Amino acid sequence: MPPFHCTRHSDKTVAFLPLVAVAQNFQTGRAATVTSAYSPWMLATRVFRLVGNRALSTSICLRGGHGVAKVEDYTLPAYFDRRESPLPDIKFVQQLSPDQKSLKEKEKGSWAALSKEEKIALYRISFKESFAEMDKGTGEWKSVVAGIFFFIGFTGLVVLWQRNYVYGDVPHTFDPEYKQKEVQRMLDMRINPVEGFSAKWDYENNAWKK
Amino acid sequence: MFRFAKAALNLSGQSARQVAVRQKSDLSREFHAKYGPPLLIAGVTFCTAVWAYVITSTGIAWNLSPVGKVQPKPWQEE
Repeated sequence: MPPFHCTRHSDKTVAFLPLVAVAQNFQTGRAATVTSAYSPWMLATRVFRLVGNRALSTSICLRGGHGVAKVEDYTLPAYFDRRESPLPDIKFVQQLSPDQKSLKEKEKGSWAALSKEEKIALYRISFKESFAEMDKGTGEWKSVVAGIFFFIGFTGLVVLWQRNYVYGDVPHTFDPEYKQKEVQRMLDMRINPVEGFSAKWDYENNAWKK
Repeated sequence: MFRFAKAALNLSGQSARQVAVRQKSDLSREFHAKYGPPLLIAGVTFCTAVWAYVITSTGIAWNLSPVGKVQPKPWQEE
């Protein structure tokens, strides 16, 4: 494979490339053949040069003969507001209105002549948000927490539905009267008398300890 | 070699900035500033109302401790 030269001949002379090569060979007296320049991609670039599109032929040349790719938006320099890199790749406003254009002209003179509003207008051409604006919080947490509480509330509705349509009756051992008798029986048995249940009952005065 | 190192280490940081540009949008900020506080109040109110009802008035048995609450009653049947 010959090395990657893409020499930029003018469109008119490109057709004579093989003749020039032959002429040079005659001058040096070598019996060399003119085969080095004819790989397929170079033929393609020669065709495009004859058509007359230098940019296309050059880019095809650089891409190894495959054609021009579409320029994607995300590959171009982007504007961004970030504290840690204060100067973005491009100005914020790319197409200037006539007012803005005249302001830019005025900017080329003495800056002391600019009024305060004009300076702010120039800033806004180059930048979208000031540091104060870009650092300001969004208040997004309020919406997020609101969503959290909403879904917890919805869970409460689910539990309500379950109580009415899924749970059966509780056993009779949960009746208040039964519970009272149960407590008396547990106290009589001295359940956990050291630190637990019966320890909290005052047997002298027949009441719960305060 | 330099180009390889530059690509490997992401020295321009461009992709990070593009992600940042994509994520922070004007529409969402105005929404949160305008609707955030009322949504928050509404959400909290809804949640507390529903759970207050569920906890107290649906008849769910929580079986809380009788200590300090329940007065004992004689149980022996003669």
